Amino acid sequence: MPTSSVERSGSLVETHRGYNPRLLVFHGVLALACLGVTAGLAYQQLIKTDIYHDLERVQNQRRVLTPGPRGNIYDREGRLLVGNRPRFAVTLNLDELRGEFRTEFLRIRRAYREADDRNLPSSGELEQIARFTVVQRYLDEVNRRLERAEKLDGQALTRHFRRQLLLPYILVDDLHPDEYARLLEQLPVTSALQVYTTTARHYPFQSAAAHTLGFVGLASLEDSPTISLPGEELKTFAMKGSIGRDGLERYFDEILQGETGGTIYRVDPAGYRVNPPLVRRLPVQGRDLVTSLDIDLQLSAEAALGKLELPASAVMLEVASGEVLALATKPDFDLNATSPRIAAGAYQQIDAAGGWYNRSVKGIYPPGSSFKILTAIAGLRAGTLDPDATVNCEGVYRVGRRLFPCHDGHAHGPIRLAQAIEVSCNVYFYAQGLRLGAERLAEEARRFGFDQPTGIELPFETKGMLVPDAAWKRRFIAQRKLPPDQQAIEERWYDGDTANFSIGQGFLLVTPLQMASFAASVARGETRTRPTLLHDPARAPLRSDPIGLNPVARAALLRGMEDCVISPHGTARILNSPALRIPDLRIAGKTGTAQVATPGGTRNLAWFICFAPVDRPEVALAVMVEGDTPGEEFAGGRYAGPVARDILKTWWDKRRAAGPLSRATAIRP
Amino acid sequence: MPPRRLLASRPFLVLGLLLAGWFLVPTVIKRALGISFFELQAPVHLAASHVRDLQDFWSLRTRSSHDLIAAGRDLARLNASYEVTLQQTETLRREVARLEALLRMPTLPGYRSEPARVARRDFNAWWQRLTVRKGRNYGIVPGSPVIFGGGVVGKVTEVHAYTAVVDLISSPTLRLAATLEGDTRPLSFQGANNPAFGPARGIVDYVPTDASASEFSPRRIVTSGLGGVFPAGLLIGEIVRLETSTDGLFKTGEVRLDNRLSELTEVTVLVPERRD
Repeated sequence: MPTSSVERSGSLVETHRGYNPRLLVFHGVLALACLGVTAGLAYQQLIKTDIYHDLERVQNQRRVLTPGPRGNIYDREGRLLVGNRPRFAVTLNLDELRGEFRTEFLRIRRAYREADDRNLPSSGELEQIARFTVVQRYLDEVNRRLERAEKLDGQALTRHFRRQLLLPYILVDDLHPDEYARLLEQLPVTSALQVYTTTARHYPFQSAAAHTLGFVGLASLEDSPTISLPGEELKTFAMKGSIGRDGLERYFDEILQGETGGTIYRVDPAGYRVNPPLVRRLPVQGRDLVTSLDIDLQLSAEAALGKLELPASAVMLEVASGEVLALATKPDFDLNATSPRIAAGAYQQIDAAGGWYNRSVKGIYPPGSSFKILTAIAGLRAGTLDPDATVNCEGVYRVGRRLFPCHDGHAHGPIRLAQAIEVSCNVYFYAQGLRLGAERLAEEARRFGFDQPTGIELPFETKGMLVPDAAWKRRFIAQRKLPPDQQAIEERWYDGDTANFSIGQGFLLVTPLQMASFAASVARGETRTRPTLLHDPARAPLRSDPIGLNPVARAALLRGMEDCVISPHGTARILNSPALRIPDLRIAGKTGTAQVATPGGTRNLAWFICFAPVDRPEVALAVMVEGDTPGEEFAGGRYAGPVARDILKTWWDKRRAAGPLSRATAIRP
Repeated sequence: MPPRRLLASRPFLVLGLLLAGWFLVPTVIKRALGISFFELQAPVHLAASHVRDLQDFWSLRTRSSHDLIAAGRDLARLNASYEVTLQQTETLRREVARLEALLRMPTLPGYRSEPARVARRDFNAWWQRLTVRKGRNYGIVPGSPVIFGGGVVGKVTEVHAYTAVVDLISSPTLRLAATLEGDTRPLSFQGANNPAFGPARGIVDYVPTDASASEFSPRRIVTSGLGGVFPAGLLIGEIVRLETSTDGLFKTGEVRLDNRLSELTEVTVLVPERRD
């Protein structure tokens, strides 16, 4: 039998020391440890709570951005030029198919095992096969309902899974309204398949004003400045937005751009969405733009240019305001081919035809005889030209050892200013130009802004326009790094250069838009017309330096320009033929036929600038047509004149139907 | 005697065992049980419906002979006017068939009309349904459109041996392609979350922006015929409110549906004719 401790100690009282100083150490250690844990918890909970909260948000929340539709573009009468059209697509919400993917995964794996197939794919590969199979099943259903034969792109599907799981996967894009109606009715409301609507740019007038209106391209929304949705730090899935690539779409992109909306979702550890969303912001459409274009005039200009089947440009301005009524360039392209994205084949086709090139604002050409108006103004202002004094035209003009021919080689005999403009006598203007001098002529051209871009609200307006003078020629030749003796010869400014300059040839280069602005300035009796593509009914009339001609000089100038159209010898007399005459409309115009040296030979450019009505000008116009055959006779009156006539006819018909304009043109001497 | 705690937990134990048992039952048996449950339940609904009909019959028997003669006369006049309309419709149908043959156009799929009595109404916040007294025995198939004198009633969603369940157009689970009357552009109509006893409403989406409608100047919408389920031109309701969507592309709005939808006693099921 065991003996008790009491018996062993020999004492009947068990003693216990309730307090052992050695335990104090452990108490202290324990207390310190508890304090440490508490402090640690408090630190994590109180101090670092924001950090963990942010980490948790970043891990569990996803942001989906939706682009806002772009604003519309209208013409000056409120007709829609660029709008948005709905694009219907049938989409599949992949995150709703999680269960189906799992079931399919198990089924496929079981099938492999039952078949005792040794080449059992890896788990990841099985997952991909299961996803593909399920999505293909849905696509088959869509194909059956729409009687289509769409195919599934496996790579695109895998990419979508990896990068854009929260975005709907587009199975079939750009549905016809009948097709989307069929799916609306036949698909269950709760199906993972849904009809999804996005927007694409729509151009009701197809190719009209293609270069002016411009087009858009797809762009990432993540860098969009118009995102008002919080959560920049979250992983973001962005649908494609659009950005202006050319024309007004590019220049006014900030105005037209819609406000990006979006949604913030909570997601589970596998990245699948947990409804409902935490935050939702609806996208907002961009602001509308009212342009100065008149679609009737624009279509008229394009139809007239189209008849020629040549590269060409036509610009019509409202004289009082500088508002551009028509800005046409050929060849052009159907803007709808660019929306929502341009196909590579279509791009190359347009490129090969030269359709991308906006000749009105990017093309630089010698203006030919249409520049004689400026030579006349310069001479009249300088006092070297007397409108009543005659110059004897013998068909050629000798400058140094070289004979410069007159227009068409005609000998006009003694000729005054008005008649010289009417018949476009080169000899008269050679003489006036040489009397005036190149420097003063260049100075006058610069006064009218020929050396600067017009500042129109379009991207990529050329800066290559050129008003030549002796200093420019020296700089230009110096850049060519010729041998010194040859450089000394070539850098000199010769009288021949001045003679060419005075008839709008030689080194002088201008754009069709500049010539239209020049015509508007002359019509108003001023020196500058800044063209604008924005319509403002309350816009104050333009004001710039007066042209500086006395009434007699101005009358002679205008008489010459009007005779150019109505006289039987005028170079634009075709406009007065019974077939082309516009009743009751007096037109002041000037033709031009410029030569351009090309590797294939010298090609002609046909010009016509004008304004109307003569007594109270309301519109100004410049037309330029590029000849395509070297050496071909290509007179401005014959080719560019009828184009201007068609546009003016449309304008005049509208003008008479609408009554007098509210914006009067004040003519300054 | 077992401890009290074990006794108290016995119901939970039984429930757990039952759930586990149900979980282990094969899907086929579960599905068969579900269907047979409805099929067994259906005679109750049918019997109740027939009793209601009998009740109506006896309540009409209390009317005076004079009232019945007047009602019979009104009915005869109505029948006569319907007879005229039928003849006109038949003439038009022949003309359409002649033109289709002349233009070699494919004939549109036709429908067989199957009138059916309403056996039961089931209205709540999640769905709005009718059960009609005809099912597979009359060749009714799921997806068949259902109409009445005032336009569209809904679509058959379930078909049983002697009954069929119809989703009403006021149900948020039903969506169809519609058009504005006199227009051809398709728009989407869907039932709204309607209260069980309130006026039935629907919502329209993808309405062209040039359309307008208000409570005082409502606009009728009809089936488009593009969806492949409903024939074209059947009245759905009237748009009483329209507002432009945030993207500016369309308008969305509210549709007032026929108040009689909640008290229908007889409907017509349009059974698609098979094209062999």
